[in-house]
Amino acid sequence: MTSPSPACVEGATVLAQERLTEDVYRLTVATTTGGTPGQFYMVRSWDREPLLARPISIHKMNEDTVSFLYQVCGRGTELLARLEEGGEVTLTGPLGHGFRIGELRGRIAIVTGGIGIAPTFCLACMLPVRDVTVIAGFESTPYAVAELLTLGVDVRVATEDGSDGTRGFCTEIFDPPAFDTVVTCGPMPMMARVAQLCAGAGVPCQASLEARMACGIGACLVCPCPTVQGNQRVCADGPVFDAAEVIWHA
Amino acid sequence: MLETTLCGVTLKNPVIAASGTFGFGAEYDDFFDVGKLGGICTKGLTLHPREGNPGLRVWETPAGMMNSVGLQNPGIPVFLERELPRMRTLDTAIIANVGGGDLEEYVEGIRLVSGAEGVDIVELNISCPNVHEGGMAFGIDSDVAAGVVAAVRRVCTKPLMVKLSPNAEDIAAMAIACEQEGADAVSLVNTFKALAVDIHTRKAVFDNVTAGLSGPCIKPIALRMVWEVARAVHIPVVGIGGIATWQDALEFIMAGATAVQVGTATFIKPTTMLDIIDGLERYCANEHLTSLSTVCNILGTVPNCNILRRIP
Repeated sequence: MTSPSPACVEGATVLAQERLTEDVYRLTVATTTGGTPGQFYMVRSWDREPLLARPISIHKMNEDTVSFLYQVCGRGTELLARLEEGGEVTLTGPLGHGFRIGELRGRIAIVTGGIGIAPTFCLACMLPVRDVTVIAGFESTPYAVAELLTLGVDVRVATEDGSDGTRGFCTEIFDPPAFDTVVTCGPMPMMARVAQLCAGAGVPCQASLEARMACGIGACLVCPCPTVQGNQRVCADGPVFDAAEVIWHA
Repeated sequence: MLETTLCGVTLKNPVIAASGTFGFGAEYDDFFDVGKLGGICTKGLTLHPREGNPGLRVWETPAGMMNSVGLQNPGIPVFLERELPRMRTLDTAIIANVGGGDLEEYVEGIRLVSGAEGVDIVELNISCPNVHEGGMAFGIDSDVAAGVVAAVRRVCTKPLMVKLSPNAEDIAAMAIACEQEGADAVSLVNTFKALAVDIHTRKAVFDNVTAGLSGPCIKPIALRMVWEVARAVHIPVVGIGGIATWQDALEFIMAGATAVQVGTATFIKPTTMLDIIDGLERYCANEHLTSLSTVCNILGTVPNCNILRRIP
């Protein structure tokens, strides 16, 4: 799939801000810039402080909106969470290389941890839903699961505190041989485990990585991902990588 | 109106993309016509490829950021073969920024780069704070720096600009030493050596412990250094350090800079440099200036230090 050219959009209007849990929000913005599942935008709703925009993946999109699912974890996301309908954000994107959807065949597992569930919705929309199983892990209360169920996707939940689904990590309810292709997005240790399980079972796996970024477009080299081919840029060469090529323990 | 001559090279305007913030130019060509810039400094190049530093490489600070990239680059031969031909299509001055781990790597690197068609200026980087050997190790002591400049001057067939570190013991003495050894210009400043601590892990944030600070927070100090240096040498000075607006750029020019480089501010907004160029054009028009040189180096006061002084 060819990715659309990135653009800078100043003053994109906030259409909705939904609080899904204590610290997880969904921001929907009017923009026609779209993207492909797994791509991201550099997002800011402030002028100079903090200095940098925040890289956030596409959660949902259509011709004239993009939604971001995000967790408040610092100054930038705190400011985003204060936005209300009618507010404005500055977007740069869509950026990076998303999931290689053509390579997702047969029975497809999407294994996510926490806010790593963000790109799952737009990805699932482009897949034959009855072949898709989402295995989603959360610390506690799940979020962004209901929409996946309405799509008709099989969703299996694990929570660390046992408040929903199976108690434990999502990797404990993930059985790689049951699938033909796997996608994963979540914390690095969790994705490393998924990659290891997939490698053991000979199942191809695409991993979507997260990193602190400055430019977001491949110029500054502050978001390296060590791979068998040397350092790659999470922003421009990724964020989706072949899990077998990532050096997880680096 | 903004056309500027920098050591014999004609620039469309005095606004140059700073090394390490603009890749090899093509990355930003998706966002705007980079041919509108005065020039582009390449990512810091070394003769041999470098993987850069492990661990976290970026940390935000109030009005700034710290980086610890560590000169990750494909090596000069790969740059010449793969990146330079593409850069030459961008229609802007190409300034090749060259670092090195030791004197020999500097000399061989600059011999190769300066011989390449399309490279307009060589920027000698003796100021990277993020590599253990080389880099800033050559940019602290004026005598050590003089040795590097003298050695690369002998092989450099292009105008030679030396990028200075704000961590130098005496920035004006450093600039004078570079001028005496044949530098055609100096650019300053590179990043400030800085520290961030993770209070939860009780460790330094960066594997290298220290990292380089850039952004608006360093601007007043960088400006003072440019002012001091502009009064100490007769070669052109290129101002760098936290420039984010046309007013910032103009401050550096008034303090003595012939041109400016913009780095971190491009991360705030990819088209920042175009805004700066537009702002400078409007300023010249409003002030009825035919050239920015009219307002270059116009601060009358003489710094209180015993250095060779420039006569205005």
